[in-house]
Amino acid sequence: MMLEVENIDTYYGQSHILEGVSLAVEEGESVALIGRNGVGKTTTLRSILQLTPPTEGSITFRGEDITGMETFEVAQRGVGWVPEERRMFAHLTVDENIEVSTPPEADLDAAYDLAYETFPDLEQFRDKDAGTLSGGQQQMLAIARGLVGQNDLLLIDEPSEGLAPLIVEQVSEALEALRAETTMLLVEQNFEMAMDLTDRFYLLDHGQVVESGQSDDVSADDEFIQRYLSA
Amino acid sequence: MIVELFFQSGGTLTALDVPLSSTPVTEVLTDAMDPGALARIVLDSLSKAGLYITIAVGLTLIFGLMGVLNFAHGSFAMYGAYIGGVIMVVAVTSGTGDLSRLVIFFGAAAFVLALMTVVGGAIEKKLIRPVYDRPPLFQILLTFGIVLVLDEAARIVVEWRGITPRSRWEGPFDTLPAFLSARYDVFGSTIRGIWLFEIAVGAVIVVGVYLFLTRTRYGLYIRAGSEDGEMAQALGIDIRQAFTLVFGVGTGLAAFAGVILMWDPRFGASVPLTIEALLIAFVIVIIGGLGTFKGTVVAGVLVGFIDGFTTWMLPNYDAVEFALVSAVLPGEWAIPMSSNLPEATMFLALVVVLIVRPQGLYGIEEVGGH
Repeated sequence: MMLEVENIDTYYGQSHILEGVSLAVEEGESVALIGRNGVGKTTTLRSILQLTPPTEGSITFRGEDITGMETFEVAQRGVGWVPEERRMFAHLTVDENIEVSTPPEADLDAAYDLAYETFPDLEQFRDKDAGTLSGGQQQMLAIARGLVGQNDLLLIDEPSEGLAPLIVEQVSEALEALRAETTMLLVEQNFEMAMDLTDRFYLLDHGQVVESGQSDDVSADDEFIQRYLSA
Repeated sequence: MIVELFFQSGGTLTALDVPLSSTPVTEVLTDAMDPGALARIVLDSLSKAGLYITIAVGLTLIFGLMGVLNFAHGSFAMYGAYIGGVIMVVAVTSGTGDLSRLVIFFGAAAFVLALMTVVGGAIEKKLIRPVYDRPPLFQILLTFGIVLVLDEAARIVVEWRGITPRSRWEGPFDTLPAFLSARYDVFGSTIRGIWLFEIAVGAVIVVGVYLFLTRTRYGLYIRAGSEDGEMAQALGIDIRQAFTLVFGVGTGLAAFAGVILMWDPRFGASVPLTIEALLIAFVIVIIGGLGTFKGTVVAGVLVGFIDGFTTWMLPNYDAVEFALVSAVLPGEWAIPMSSNLPEATMFLALVVVLIVRPQGLYGIEEVGGH
């Protein structure tokens, strides 16, 4: 098992966000974490990264307990993050955003090649500040950053959020290609997209996993999906 | 022109007619274009700019990455001035040649830079780090507390050695090489040798820090961490280690600036250098925009020129009305405003920038983040 989250409880101040969440991701798998806004999907990713460390439970990555580690140590073990709202380094150029995401020991030119072969549209903006890119281009750069980080597991948070349908399609294609290369834990509001891109899913509600299964076996018309995903 | 000024004292309102001569601005500007005046203004301004940038650059690096407003910055400069001064006074004798003096100076500066970088790193680890997760007020109070401890300790040691802590320590001025203490005639104006030295040092600091930030992997980490510390950590960057390094280097640079100030007759080593250096650093980083290196350089040059121009203007125009007001007032009202005019214009520039562009010339809305 690549990632095992066991019974974690996570708080923001006094607010109890995650209550005994457990999930697992196998090597090479693509897993979706779905649910309404505010049920704890992003907090689950932040807990895995130890950005918001859980107060109870444990998280193991490749058999090593990473609970309580520093975030940079988790990242150095091969857990990458494509965060919600992209979080570019706006005053760094596109090239510098790629460079800062590439491990020091890795070949930087190979990282540029990988990034710009995956997202050819980005290459013309190499020397531009990332803050000047459009939302779709920033999302591509965010995924490219995760890609060049030589991560074994990518935690991808709401990649389609705020993007035009045409751009969502491009991002979806990029993630489909990425799926063959790496293990993914995907948080996505767009149910169809999430199911298309993943093998399995976990459904969160009020900080708890209420359902899980194979992505191929569910459709947006299912009653439980309607119950937990409709606003 | 007669201006009627009113003063209130003990409930009594006193009117005073103050005669003011007036010098048209165009006349002042025309005089400033004279080659000798221009050379003096430009070189004096650039030397001050070099000093101000050297003083402020450490503060801006620390705030940019860590979001910590380090009130102890001036104290580190003061320690640099005294430690550098002690080394110079001990190592330089009357028989020491100019070149040797310069070599000793750079040795002292390198030693102070290294020593205070280590001290700064230790302070960050042991004192600052525990309050990162608390409101900014804790960091301000903590660094202010460090100022009180460091300044009192310096005062005790300096007095014990028989040096007056409040006034400039004259000893290190005697260690200046002759070519730096000399005055040179440029188009009829007097230029001090040390000004050129300060311009060169300022330029080296600017280029050095710029290259570090833009051409090294660690500089890239610092720039990334300044924008979004959390994201930088999620990319595998040990941001706490970067905090320690930057606080250490920022402290070292403040102390290095102190070593330069120790040689400059306009400053010199003294305990009040703490507040002098701190005020300059704050004015520069606020005008430039908190945490931006580019802003610090531009603000340093801008304030240097404001200071340099005002310094040139003062002895040349007794019609600098502002200064004249205090000069003609009767004894009980007289305040020595004229000598503080360059400083006052620095703060005036700060006020103008805060009103027109509160985030500073190159400021971004939010910096730091951890």
